[in-house]
Amino acid sequence: MTTASWTHRHVLSLAEFSREDYDTVLTTAASFREVLSRRTKKVPTLQGQVVTNLFFEPSTRTRSSFELAAKRLSADILNFAPGSSSLTKGETILDTAKTYLAMGTDIMVIRHKQAGVPQSIAAEMDRLQSGVSVLNAGDGQHEHPSQGLLDLFSICQVLNPQKPSIGDLRGKKVAIVGDILHSRVARSNLWSLTAAGAEVHLAGPPTLLPREFAQFLPPTADRSPLQIHWQLEPALADADFVMTLRLQQERMSQHLLPSLREYHQRYGITRDRLRLCQPQVRVLHPGPTNRGVELASDVMDDPALSLVPDQVTSGIAVRMALLYLIGGGKG
Amino acid sequence: MAIELLREIRLIDPVAQVDRLATVLLDQGQVRAIDPDPQALPEGTQVIEAAGQILAPGLVDCYSRSGEPGHESRETLASLAAAALAGGFTTLALLPNTQPAIDQPALVQNLRDRWAALPEPSPHLHLWGALTQGAQGEQMSELAELATAGIVGFTDGRSIRDWVLMERLLDYAGPLGLPLMVMGQRASASRGPVLEGVEALRLGLVGVSAVAESSALTTLLELLRDRPARLHVMRLATGRAAALVAQGKADGLPLTASLSWLQLLCDTSHIDGRRPLPGSDRPPLPYDPSLHLSAPLGNPADRQALIAALKTGTIDAIAVDHAPYTYEEKTVAFAEAPQGAIGLELALPLLWSGLVMTGELTALELWRSLSQRPAELLGQTPQPIGPGQAQPLIRFDPAATWTVEPAQLQSLAQNTPWLGHKIAGRVVQTWLPT
Repeated sequence: MTTASWTHRHVLSLAEFSREDYDTVLTTAASFREVLSRRTKKVPTLQGQVVTNLFFEPSTRTRSSFELAAKRLSADILNFAPGSSSLTKGETILDTAKTYLAMGTDIMVIRHKQAGVPQSIAAEMDRLQSGVSVLNAGDGQHEHPSQGLLDLFSICQVLNPQKPSIGDLRGKKVAIVGDILHSRVARSNLWSLTAAGAEVHLAGPPTLLPREFAQFLPPTADRSPLQIHWQLEPALADADFVMTLRLQQERMSQHLLPSLREYHQRYGITRDRLRLCQPQVRVLHPGPTNRGVELASDVMDDPALSLVPDQVTSGIAVRMALLYLIGGGKG
Repeated sequence: MAIELLREIRLIDPVAQVDRLATVLLDQGQVRAIDPDPQALPEGTQVIEAAGQILAPGLVDCYSRSGEPGHESRETLASLAAAALAGGFTTLALLPNTQPAIDQPALVQNLRDRWAALPEPSPHLHLWGALTQGAQGEQMSELAELATAGIVGFTDGRSIRDWVLMERLLDYAGPLGLPLMVMGQRASASRGPVLEGVEALRLGLVGVSAVAESSALTTLLELLRDRPARLHVMRLATGRAAALVAQGKADGLPLTASLSWLQLLCDTSHIDGRRPLPGSDRPPLPYDPSLHLSAPLGNPADRQALIAALKTGTIDAIAVDHAPYTYEEKTVAFAEAPQGAIGLELALPLLWSGLVMTGELTALELWRSLSQRPAELLGQTPQPIGPGQAQPLIRFDPAATWTVEPAQLQSLAQNTPWLGHKIAGRVVQTWLPT
């Protein structure tokens, strides 16, 4: 594995990733995918290191994925969940992080329902010169970098199963459909897909896709442009990949949508609608899926169309890669 | 205080519209002569070489928050007074939303008594009285009685969400002769910690719509028409709001406006922690909760529009809106943090280095907005600097560098994005007439 170009202590946002960074992650993840296909699926890479899952916001899927990834790398795992914590007893988020630092944590995997918390903890860890790495496992509506990277890996694996690379994505059309406004996954996807040179089309109702998203990317030459659509059809036309997003039930009470029914009628991904896309189109979803709302059940269960199970499997390899890259130099 | 000669100091006087080098003779803190005959100085004159420094009227803050009574761990009256003087503020007006709120004459008197008992010297204190009982925005305070207690005006330190109540308040309190001060903020479709826009989208923070301010302001201006009330709009945050104030003033409405000093220096582009802060060579911490303000921090274009409106006088005053919070209260996620930041010791140095040094504001415009106009809003008549005028003066050294850290701050609170930064500018001497 060549990781010489890797310079990040933390993984907080894909906005700061270069093309080389993406390829390093993809190459590393591909080699871990190979490890995961062996009989003995464990490597000693992070032996003796402590990985702490600080999940201030409850999560089962992402936490399990990180936990398994860390175990496959032979790290010791600590899990923090707010239900069993002293956060309600006057302890601040930084106190919690410092407690786990004092236990000898090397890598903190952090999720919080508010944007910016992993950044704040990373800044504090740097101020203390602790050497601890922070991996953002989802902060509010801001970013979910490991999900963005596993989506990228799943897509690149379809395009080049042997040696996935972001170069394969250049010129491909990717539609991201649904509640873009509240999605940290979509925000991470925007950075990775446009860095790869994909043609990115966002589609959703105006209440969930504000027009300002057209200016989301800073005007630099090495990113592909972004288009926004309040109609689904132009986004799907000739698309190579369709990324769907979870729609939260509370959007109705916030006056953002009239009903799930109307949402599905206008933006739901069905077999019929996928005929607008390229014949080999693949569909992604970060999970958990509202079957029959953002994604029709038969599409989700069709292995010829759905990449959802691959995303979950890739997730472990990608998270192993991230833990390896930021943890490799420690200890 | 003795007889002091400040040689070659930059004299800034917004009332007289003077900004020039001068040599000033002070006797017991009062100006005795400007450019006196160097051969005829009184015996014992202490000569201070003040080249590069500034002599100007003491600053006047039209609203700030005290921790005492109710939240003495944030700030006491003693620490507030010390912070104000250290920052050059010789007059201070406090918001009434303490615990309990200042909504009765007895509470006004109680606060005055506490202030009088502070170890001298302390800045001149003015108090705002609560518009509503407990400053809760529900039931009118006993405004007529409160008006007799020597307050400068009525405010809850925020917006009145009930428009019927707002209309009645203007009707009832207007003829009492004191101004009403409110924020223009309608209950927004989305209650977020920053103004809406592409920066909010990138940050993943909920954006408050700019219309929340402008629509409230439009309603306020309509209510003000043909009513015998004076209205002060506080904490302006958007360019659109500034335009509405300009229109209201052009229509002859009895209207004045102010904003928080931070809205002139920071905007949503600072929150990700990548751009250096004005007056510093370092960025703030990412998602620093001290940048969660009321009104929410605006976008870069708003900041430019607000600076322009300040220059033309559409916006009358810069308020410090000092909002002390403890470390525990502010060490939370950005969106969950209480709104506000400290500023009494930071406003002058940072506005000087961040706006005057860069040419965006003139020194006279800054002093007009930080001293002359705030004093007028508080019912005073500022006088030009000259012999025979007893007025607070400060000597400011724009080049003096210091680090914003607990040991250097008089304030008990440290909630500022500049914490730990080295900045330039310090008030080196203050003369308070007794």
